[in-house]
Amino acid sequence: MGKLRFFIALWAAKLSVPLLRVTRHNGTNFPGELALKLCPDFLKYVSKPGRIVTVTGTNGKTTVCNLVCDVLEKSGRPVLNNRAGSNINSGIATAMLTGVSVFNRAKFTTAVLEVDERSSKRIYPYVCPDLTLITNLFRDSIMRNAHPGYIADFLTQSIPAKTRLVLNADDLISARVAPDNERVYFGIGPMDSDVTACINRTNDMQICPNCHSALKYEYLRYHHIGKAYCPDCNFRAPQSAYYAEQVDFDARTLTFREGEQTRQYALLSDSIFNAYNLTAAVALLRELGLTHDEISAAMAQTRLVASRYNEEMIGTNKLIMHMSKEKNALACSRAFEYVSGQPGEKEILLVMNCIGDEKHWSENVSWLYDCDVEFLNHPDIRCIAVTGKRAWDYRQRLLLAGVPEEKVRLNEDPFAAAGLLDYAPNTSIYVLHGVDSLNLANRVRAAIADTLRKGAEQ
Amino acid sequence: MTIEVLYPEICNLYGDVFNAEYLARCGGGMQLHRTGLKDEPRFVREDVALVYMGGTTEQGQALCIDALRPYMDALRRRVEEGQLFLVTGNAMELFGSYIQLPDGSRLEGLGLYDTWAVRDMERRYNSLFLGELPGVEGAVTGYKSQFGHSYGSNEGNFLFAVQRGCGLNPDSRLEGVRIHNFMATYLTGPLAVLNPPFAKHLLELMGVQDTALPCESAAWDAYRARLREFENPELQFEY
Repeated sequence: MGKLRFFIALWAAKLSVPLLRVTRHNGTNFPGELALKLCPDFLKYVSKPGRIVTVTGTNGKTTVCNLVCDVLEKSGRPVLNNRAGSNINSGIATAMLTGVSVFNRAKFTTAVLEVDERSSKRIYPYVCPDLTLITNLFRDSIMRNAHPGYIADFLTQSIPAKTRLVLNADDLISARVAPDNERVYFGIGPMDSDVTACINRTNDMQICPNCHSALKYEYLRYHHIGKAYCPDCNFRAPQSAYYAEQVDFDARTLTFREGEQTRQYALLSDSIFNAYNLTAAVALLRELGLTHDEISAAMAQTRLVASRYNEEMIGTNKLIMHMSKEKNALACSRAFEYVSGQPGEKEILLVMNCIGDEKHWSENVSWLYDCDVEFLNHPDIRCIAVTGKRAWDYRQRLLLAGVPEEKVRLNEDPFAAAGLLDYAPNTSIYVLHGVDSLNLANRVRAAIADTLRKGAEQ
Repeated sequence: MTIEVLYPEICNLYGDVFNAEYLARCGGGMQLHRTGLKDEPRFVREDVALVYMGGTTEQGQALCIDALRPYMDALRRRVEEGQLFLVTGNAMELFGSYIQLPDGSRLEGLGLYDTWAVRDMERRYNSLFLGELPGVEGAVTGYKSQFGHSYGSNEGNFLFAVQRGCGLNPDSRLEGVRIHNFMATYLTGPLAVLNPPFAKHLLELMGVQDTALPCESAAWDAYRARLREFENPELQFEY
């Protein structure tokens, strides 16, 4: 009965794929949702590729997963992936059903899947990864993810015992997940910009996991990312087998070290965050057996997906869309630090309200007080426009961060808020948006682009 | 004057410590003192204007109970003397009689009050809160985000009367615990920052008179906007 039910679910879900394409609804999770509805054990019965790789973590998993898939595909190794859909169980089911024939024969030898941390309990019992990479674990949505220790415990309980882990040695929260599993670490060595005391509002790894004394850091990059040790016991951060060094943001390169072997790679962007993403992706690809020649040749043809970052010159202004994930204090802190550190004068529109929350309730703004909004208090930032239902909360937080009152502009309507920017010549105009507000931000961006074009024509 | 923050290395989950930083910015030469897990709390030996403690992880709850237990005689004495404490989020559970864990075992609490907590890691409870602090004009708005609830009676020693949302648990209309000036609430995050009337009340209790709040006008604007939203009967309170 189970198998019959599975095949009915598979065929119905497969049939829905062309129907959705015809009706221009492709790219949704509907096929997977349908399959799971008709057969809740769908993921158990669907044939899987011989090798399964998953990428999870709070931040960077989409970037790393896309990079790994791109490199594999560009080096002639087609992989089953879920980048067209979501990273929850229905997204995995959608990917899986497209990866089998109508007779449930697997069409791929390898799957590389992005998996949402909270969905791992519903995925890993059926989809057992050979390799799992965890990018990092940070604070995320308060409501859903509670705190990073909770997510670490959640992953420890979910990841199968036979899965080999590729872990970030510089993140002592994710580095300690599933301690009995086989593992290998990646990390980034000392950098000129490192500090030894945390300058961020949050650091979730301040005490030794063994003796609870205050940890010290040989170097600290941001929040709890760095190399920690306990002065009172023998606890130390693990050693990395895959190690990036000589990260040079001016030359946009890093050196990737494995033992005595080194190789230079081009950085994806000039952010430390993406240096970690690149290091993680190369480490995972090395675990998958690719040579450095294959990886760097394929990497040369890849770029960050446009939904995370894109820029365009209009007249003398640069218009930049930059992801700043809503309700995620760390992602926003990183985005704010990055933007404030860019050369030249800047104008910023914050379109980061959680649109989903606005429909039925009120977004919990506590995360704003974990976030390093202080980075936006910078003389090169001419003005910051805030918008949406939480505009007044953003305004209060910006003022508490020391941003001068005359620089903070407010209108609940995002298009009207965009109109409050200065549009001064030679400035970079940033639209910082969340995942939830991407479509809205794209529309606002188009309106800003129109304004800039009209200005440039005059 | 000193604001003592207890165990900020692990008790600062949702912008909690901003409460103390915010109040310290309200003038009066206020200083922040951060007491670590292995330190003796300052309130044990000297007067402080406010002792603040924020929410923590489940493991952190056990560490905090162990850290505070040796000082409970002093803490009880201070509470009787009227020392001002503000305890937010799941730190409230530490001062109850026990926390019942998912495996049925108990984590013994500090026993300042008789309520007990039941931890439920399978269901994250998220809700908005609208209530009032008796004797203080102006509603309190807030957020709850927690694994479990507290039970037992706080009828004679509640902190906030619930207008919308829930109290100690979904069946309760009385939120938090107040013993003299010891205030404990499940509300998380920057409670004082988001509620100018509550912040002003705390400052009065701290002995700081007639002082402006940081960016006060913006604070009231944000508070009033949130209040309008929370008073809207269409707004769903549970996430």
